[in-house]
Amino acid sequence: MSTNMTIHLRYWRQTSPTARGYFENRTISTVNEHMSFLEMLDVLNEELQLDGAEPLEFDYDCREGICGSCNLVINGQAHGPKKGTACCQLHMRNYSDGDHITIEPPRASAFPVIKDLVVDRSAFDRIIEAGGYVSVKTGSAQEANAIPIQKNDADQAFDYAACIGCGACVAACPNASASLFTSAKISHLSHLPQGNVERSNRVVAMVEQMQEEGFGDCSNFGECEAVCPKEISIAAIADTRRDYVRAVIQG
Amino acid sequence: MISLDAKIPDGPLEKKWSRHKKEMKLVAPNNRRKYEIIIVGTGLAGGAAAASMAEMGYKVKSFCIQDSARRAHSIAAQGGINASKNYPNDGDSVWRLFYDTIKGGDYRSREANVYRLAEVSNNIIDQAVAQGVPFAREYSGLLANRSFGGAQVSRTFYARGQTGQQLLLGAYQAMMRQVELGGIKYYTRHEMLEVVIIDGKARGIITRDLVTGEICQHEADAVILATGGYGNVFYLSTNAKNSNVTAAWRAHKKGALFANPSFVQVHPTCIPVSGDYQSKLTLMSESLRNDGRVWVPRKKGDDRHPNDIPEDERLYYLEEKYPSFGNLVPRDVASRNAKLVCDKGLGIGKTGLAVYLDFRDAIARDGKDMISAKYGNLFDMYANIAGEDPYTRPMRIFPAVHYTMGGLWVDYNLMTNIPGLFAAGEANFSDHGANRLGASALMQGLSDGYFVLPSTIGNYLADVKPGTRYGTDHEAFDTAAKKAQEAIDRLLNINGKRTIIDFHRTLGRIVWDKIGISRTKEGLEGAISDIRSLREEFWTNVYVPGEKNNYNKYLEFAGRVADFFELAELMAMDALDRAESCGCHLREEFQTEEGEAIRNDKDYSYVSAWEFKDRNGVLEEALHKEELNFEFVELKQRSYK
Amino acid sequence: MPTIIKALQSQVGRKLMTGITGIALMLFLVVHLAGNYAIFASAEAFNIYTKTLESLGILLYMAEAGLLFFVLYHSFLGISIWLGKRKARSAGYEVYKSRGGVSRQNLASRSMILSGLTILIFLVVHIWSFKFGETEMIMSADGEPMRDLRQLVIDSFTTWYIALGYVVVLSLITLHLFHGAWSAFTSLGVTNKNNTQAFKFGAYIFTIVLMLGFIFIPVYIFATGGMGSLIAY
Repeated sequence: MSTNMTIHLRYWRQTSPTARGYFENRTISTVNEHMSFLEMLDVLNEELQLDGAEPLEFDYDCREGICGSCNLVINGQAHGPKKGTACCQLHMRNYSDGDHITIEPPRASAFPVIKDLVVDRSAFDRIIEAGGYVSVKTGSAQEANAIPIQKNDADQAFDYAACIGCGACVAACPNASASLFTSAKISHLSHLPQGNVERSNRVVAMVEQMQEEGFGDCSNFGECEAVCPKEISIAAIADTRRDYVRAVIQG
Repeated sequence: MISLDAKIPDGPLEKKWSRHKKEMKLVAPNNRRKYEIIIVGTGLAGGAAAASMAEMGYKVKSFCIQDSARRAHSIAAQGGINASKNYPNDGDSVWRLFYDTIKGGDYRSREANVYRLAEVSNNIIDQAVAQGVPFAREYSGLLANRSFGGAQVSRTFYARGQTGQQLLLGAYQAMMRQVELGGIKYYTRHEMLEVVIIDGKARGIITRDLVTGEICQHEADAVILATGGYGNVFYLSTNAKNSNVTAAWRAHKKGALFANPSFVQVHPTCIPVSGDYQSKLTLMSESLRNDGRVWVPRKKGDDRHPNDIPEDERLYYLEEKYPSFGNLVPRDVASRNAKLVCDKGLGIGKTGLAVYLDFRDAIARDGKDMISAKYGNLFDMYANIAGEDPYTRPMRIFPAVHYTMGGLWVDYNLMTNIPGLFAAGEANFSDHGANRLGASALMQGLSDGYFVLPSTIGNYLADVKPGTRYGTDHEAFDTAAKKAQEAIDRLLNINGKRTIIDFHRTLGRIVWDKIGISRTKEGLEGAISDIRSLREEFWTNVYVPGEKNNYNKYLEFAGRVADFFELAELMAMDALDRAESCGCHLREEFQTEEGEAIRNDKDYSYVSAWEFKDRNGVLEEALHKEELNFEFVELKQRSYK
Repeated sequence: MPTIIKALQSQVGRKLMTGITGIALMLFLVVHLAGNYAIFASAEAFNIYTKTLESLGILLYMAEAGLLFFVLYHSFLGISIWLGKRKARSAGYEVYKSRGGVSRQNLASRSMILSGLTILIFLVVHIWSFKFGETEMIMSADGEPMRDLRQLVIDSFTTWYIALGYVVVLSLITLHLFHGAWSAFTSLGVTNKNNTQAFKFGAYIFTIVLMLGFIFIPVYIFATGGMGSLIAY
């Protein structure tokens, strides 16, 4: 049914945030087409350990494409070649026997490497801290159906709220911009009446924080949308710009 | 002697929670800032509690093992969240949600807790909507509901198939707001290793900074564990890879009772294991069983293409055995029967651990378009993972562990038997009895976090003198930190030949085979001795790579697997003690000839709460029983014939 | 709320100003092209057009200053975005590949800095040779003296390397606009999920028509040795 494939891996090694990184090559010959990409790396790690070597570190958790932990850059593409798919849901049947695969961490100054392929994405938390919320206290909420929301608005808000915060947008952007991540949250909340109240403060604070974290400018490359595992549209970025201008004009 | 006082308020069921809220002690707003509260875990329960308590003015320290609070495993819940709003006008009420939950739990949960859960369910929806959670809506602009998990009313609120994600992001955002405002100190990539107890009260925790390996000491006036379930004891489950029992287990070893450890829910429609390298299982909505027919070939080892197997050589085992419910029998019945046919050698595929879920007849009846409109995204998900087209070839499915009803024992206030140590969400045992209904995990996590703990914590803290500090140089902190460090050093020094994952996988197989879908006395006894000998080998032959003072994922795993070994033994002991069948717990000795569970309310209507004594090759635990008194509902046997 | 200065320094403000200055420069190109076609109108039209422009005096200087400001601001933003990107990704990828699909990463968008800088250098040469270039003074039909820029244009474009140089530079401007024309409107936030394809299509058509218009002149003059029948004598 399924035969083993041989895959030639080339992956980034870096022992600590300050250490100099390098590439390591290793060939594994027990890759099965039904494995997920991360399971292939699990197999690699078992082999490394049996050889007495240190396993390769990479981030993961749910392995079903929703937690946003995994964020490998595979052959130069964030999350690899498959559209709308996080690398934990990428299966080895997308590769062929004898393929060469290069795995790198997302490269951005705002995402410093912790070890090997693991990076620090706390910049994203701080962007949300700056304003990615509705300031409602527990217990003070009104009856849920008190404010009707047009189905279309609710659906659009959901499209943006689907962001999993993996950082593929930053990894893939030629400028290492976090505009799609930031704008997805801004658009999610500004499409809802609950989020509309703080709309102006939110957009200004989040845009400022994004810049402070050291992400690059947006040049409308649209690469972020192409790699986004949730296929979030860059229309969100246009929304942010409109909201920002409105905030500045209204003062 | 430990007293198991559930502290359930007196009075009629509907009045208990409101009366309790009225009678509980309060902490004055200007005093709240003098109290520090540690919350471990940032899922629905932990995230909601952290945000709510910081809003109230308490100083909160929040810890998670992931790189961000937003990645807690609550995020993966698909289906929805129940509430008794009765928007569809189909006769739902707080009572009915309460009744369904207690009956669904096969009468092994507390009436008062479950009623409170049903009561606050409505506030949760209000709160989530106010936070900007984009629930599904009707064209009227009002919230949409669906029926879920065989409920007779439509009470489930949902955000496409990502309800858990959206609710978690709501709690996460509220939490981040408090981080910005200074109410929460936020520690990511920190794992709790010990609870620190001083003068009999929980006063802090020991954590390991997962980036630097540093062992850190944190003091507080109360500690809340919202650290999720222990499904990963099975190695393969639908839990996230980092989900673990360590925080709860280490608290247990410090004296907190562990309740109903053997109550584990298995979900019948998951994508089956394809090989040894498999790292986790993926759940597909059980709505698939509305149109799919479950079958296996009648002949052992029939490796023909499923479409070439004629009708009379197919065994539609659920339809044959349960003519009236057919493929729609409850989760536990469907799961158990899948295991039964596979045990008989009728399972399909290379592993023999799968059954077919066939849409051929549904597609012939309704057309491919109709089926695709209903299940398109699930079919796509299946095709992506399994690499087969479910429109032309039956799906292969198999049950998988996905929720643990057991957990730390807590009273009505969600406090464990250790004063000042609370447990919330899946980490406690409180509301689901022996079986959890669909769409109520999210409800319980948020109920605990937003509405129960913020009230009950004040009742505890009111008796703690504000500003009491022992200092992290107190010997209790020192001893706990040393203990945590020693455990790590010990693991790193074994230098054996077998990998951690190898041990975990082997342990998982024992637990799945013998403490899984159905249990027998012999099997459980065998499991205990297998677990013991495997554990012994683990401590002499495991290979833990890397260094302690660096990021080291496999070192984290090693500590967690060590705890799973002990938990697994306790699960077997608990299953062995419970000589009845109830909910998810099927003891083969206690079933009707047709394989229906026989509950024994006379002897087993209790919560089993285990007290850790010692582990010297053998796990020693003492059983305490909290009798369950049913004042308001009548106990009935389930039947799906 | 931020001050205007702070807003202009924000990443959104920078992007907006890139778009606004870009659109202003595109509008200028339209006017420039219309003026260029005076060369085909009548023997005197081109020189009268340039003379009229010069006679505007202070108004022309103001317009020129505005234009210079747009060019410099646009260039400054472009260069600083490019420098910012090198800072935001201090360590690069060994392998990098676009995912394709909805990505707008292509030769045009990847080479904005190169095409932009080339255009900037070209502008200096262009102004040097045509605004300040040496011309003969001739008499208009009205007996007024005026610079014979028309002859300068014809002389220049009958020289092969100048004609070729212009075609090359105009191609680079085309490339710049293939990304820039659409991107400018996205930067202003006027595009959304539904109209983005329309904007993209419109931007391509605009760029192609505009640039064919520009390129036609040097190509025609060179191909006909300055004696083509379209050029009015």
